[in-house]
Amino acid sequence: MIQAERLTRLFGRTPAVRELSFHVHRGEVMGLLGPNGAGKSTTMKMLTCFLPPSSGQARVNGHSLDDSLAVRRSIGYLPENAPMYIDLDVQTHLRFVGRMQGLPQGTLADRIAEMARVCGLEQVLRRRIDELSKGYRQRVGLAASMLHDPACLILDEPTTGLDPNQISEIRQLIRRLGESKTVLLSSHVLAEVEAVCDRVMIIDRGQLRAIGTAEELARQAGDGQTLYVRFLDDGRSVLEMLATDGVEAEATGEVNGWWLHCPDADMPLAERTFRAAVAKDVVIVEMHARKTSLEDVFHRLTASRGSA
Amino acid sequence: MRVVWALAWKEWRIMLDTPLGYVVATAFLLVSGFFFGKNLFLFGQAEMRGYFELLPLLLLFFAPAMAMRMLAEERHDGSDELLATLPTRNWEIMLGKYVALLGQMLLLLLATCLYPLSLSLLGTIDVGQIAASYLAALLLAACYLAIGLYASSLTKRTIVAYVLGLGMLLGMYLLDAALSTLPPEWQDVVALLSPIMHYRYMLRGVVGLEHVVLLLAWTWVFLSLSWFQWERRAWQ
Repeated sequence: MIQAERLTRLFGRTPAVRELSFHVHRGEVMGLLGPNGAGKSTTMKMLTCFLPPSSGQARVNGHSLDDSLAVRRSIGYLPENAPMYIDLDVQTHLRFVGRMQGLPQGTLADRIAEMARVCGLEQVLRRRIDELSKGYRQRVGLAASMLHDPACLILDEPTTGLDPNQISEIRQLIRRLGESKTVLLSSHVLAEVEAVCDRVMIIDRGQLRAIGTAEELARQAGDGQTLYVRFLDDGRSVLEMLATDGVEAEATGEVNGWWLHCPDADMPLAERTFRAAVAKDVVIVEMHARKTSLEDVFHRLTASRGSA
Repeated sequence: MRVVWALAWKEWRIMLDTPLGYVVATAFLLVSGFFFGKNLFLFGQAEMRGYFELLPLLLLFFAPAMAMRMLAEERHDGSDELLATLPTRNWEIMLGKYVALLGQMLLLLLATCLYPLSLSLLGTIDVGQIAASYLAALLLAACYLAIGLYASSLTKRTIVAYVLGLGMLLGMYLLDAALSTLPPEWQDVVALLSPIMHYRYMLRGVVGLEHVVLLLAWTWVFLSLSWFQWERRAWQ
């Protein structure tokens, strides 16, 4: 498991990560979200002992970051852009990583074969890495990070450069690994985090903004309810009636289509809209509620910094 | 030592799988052969002394070329992050890289053993002096490679690492060449510390402990500086 307590990293006087505290339990996949420059990679670099924290402490698999060798033995790390030795062939690169991890000669070949199968590398084991596509290189990086069967995996944007089929396979693999291991992964793809992670942590400007399951975050960040409605004809009379209850309307751009937003989460908005339409003799052709998504939460918490 | 051998093995594989290793080895042996053949065929001197006199000049260009990519390329390609997050100590990384370099140099010097072997067919050779000269050449090369490795630790760019390494070695070479022009009190200090001077003493066939120790000490100093520079990265 990973326990971080008030983890801070300064570059000069600029804080990249500020007093970050969180726990990731065994058998859990934690997603790390944040805009560019939020401190995701710096956090991962500290947890993998690539960068020492300026202050604060963390324990990975029970080992303090001060016991750097023990931490590095117990983790598998896929850095951003999956750096590797591109002049080597895939098998030689994996053999090198395995030997550095201390895998015995007898089991090394079996582990390479197993990881090649899991990551779909069997066809390219003898190919030089500089001849491989970005997707394949990403898979080589993933295979290398899992070679010694670590208890904890730290993956910095693991599906970058993969095609949709590969993304689906890798997501399934991470989900499977997450059943028995501690997995911390960062991603820019919100749908991926929603699909793969048990819990999500959003950081911005080095600080923790929110942590919890996707549903918890949506509930915490939710500010009322939103309803999509499309009338057969002009429905302005219905909107005027709803406005007296504090419902705001916003045109969707479709003909007679509207977003209805109500700050009161407990008001039966759909029922009120339906009754108002009946009262005004306006026909509703489509109506559905829109849930607060992780994307909404992300934008709300990191809005001042722009895009993800 | 597991890590040291694994790293040295990886460097050897890269050298065997890329043209750079072959280019450097071929060029070294060609120029080396020219230096040896010049004395033998142009001046009719069937001896190795002339070759070993010129060897420092040859190593001055080739040692930085062999070492330039060792650490600079790791940082340039970002693979230093991979290396630093594997369960290794920084001194093991330095030693692994250095063992790989020393192994390459040892092979090159072994290949030049054909020269004294061919001379032995023409007449009698002083085996003791030639053996001492080879030991001196290996120790000087070890020192130059450590300097090349240090140059590689200072930058992300391999070509800059080469220029820095060459500059440092050229500075040492020129200081040694200009020894007689220095003030007398400086001459003793430079002569005492100059690796080339101690190398030349050994060429006479005398393997004095002080010469071996000084060449090894320079090697140790530059390996330590390389290690220190690699350690500093985390704090920058």
